Amino acid sequence: MAEIVYAAGIPHAPAIVGLFSKAPPETQKVVEDTYNGLVRELKAAQPDVLIIFANDHLTNSRISAYPDFLIGMAEKHAGPHEWFKPWIGCRDYVAKGSPEVAAALFRGMTKRGIRMNAERRNLNFDDNISVPVTLMDLDTSGIAIVPVLQNCTVPPFPDQHRCYAVGQAVGDFIRNDLPVGMRVGLIGSGGLSHEPGGARYYFIDEEFDRWFLDLCASGDHRRLLKELTIERMEASGSGGTAELLAWVVVQGAIGERVGHSFGYTIHKDFRCGVGAVSWPMMAA
Amino acid sequence: MGFENFDPSLAGHDLVQDLKWDKELRALFACDEAAVLDRYALRPEERKAIEERDFRTLYDLGFHPYLGGQLARFIYGNDAGGGAITAVNKLVESLQRKGTST
Repeated sequence: MAEIVYAAGIPHAPAIVGLFSKAPPETQKVVEDTYNGLVRELKAAQPDVLIIFANDHLTNSRISAYPDFLIGMAEKHAGPHEWFKPWIGCRDYVAKGSPEVAAALFRGMTKRGIRMNAERRNLNFDDNISVPVTLMDLDTSGIAIVPVLQNCTVPPFPDQHRCYAVGQAVGDFIRNDLPVGMRVGLIGSGGLSHEPGGARYYFIDEEFDRWFLDLCASGDHRRLLKELTIERMEASGSGGTAELLAWVVVQGAIGERVGHSFGYTIHKDFRCGVGAVSWPMMAA
Repeated sequence: MGFENFDPSLAGHDLVQDLKWDKELRALFACDEAAVLDRYALRPEERKAIEERDFRTLYDLGFHPYLGGQLARFIYGNDAGGGAITAVNKLVESLQRKGTST
């Protein structure tokens, strides 16, 4: 059986790259501490492959035919998509893919009654994958990535219960379908409270953000599923905050486990709260 | 909330998706917006709202806010430290003007 050796929920707001240099020093420090901590733990975990769940942000499919989960099966994942380059401000990258693990995931989810879509082309990546890849140097790490872009914003989208069930199926797939000895990392890529495109574009719900980070770190999944409703996330930033459902998928895969945050920061121009939670897997 | 009026059937959603994916269409939109709008089965009130940069009305018609934010960037600019900030401010200014949603 394969093993989950790394699990984290991380932010991907484009402004933490493009507007980083204009942010106050205390904000920059939290961003740097967060990503430095994530990278330090990733290197220690030494995964062979990282499965990254992230909001698709309407970047790959039309609303009229919108998948809830889209697996990237390409051999290489290049990004960011050209239109997003000036908006994010990150460097270009080509990350190694794993068509084998991606295909196995597609089969494994189908076998477990989870409908996912999959494409062999290089998917379009915006900040969802581009920010973690470039800030964690995943393209030069030698670690293969399998992006799974999910619907967090086109109603009706999978709620916390469905995402958790998907995560449980992913965990079962890793443990039972992937090769013995394979080391697998999981990332849920999604920002804290934000409302992209909404009337409250500059609104950041600090109370929600701190509550959510503490809840995720507590490992109390009964509370997570009861309290992290779509309504609660929408109230804290419509159309954006619900991408935290990517973190729920990861927590479903690893089960109840205590984690830790690397700090939290607010900066108005980021238009999103910034924080991450990592769940140590090695010492369990 | 932003999805109370959401109407997935609006043709303007496809307009934004195509502008993202098609560099040539984007260039045409910049120099001849009407020619691009002519290609889509926009409802008269939907087209009028786009032409008048009236995001409030567009959202009240059911436009998806995430794509609305991107439409603003096609119009006002897309670079992190400049045009994208103008786009956000223009969008918010329009959305806070009137209406009931978001």
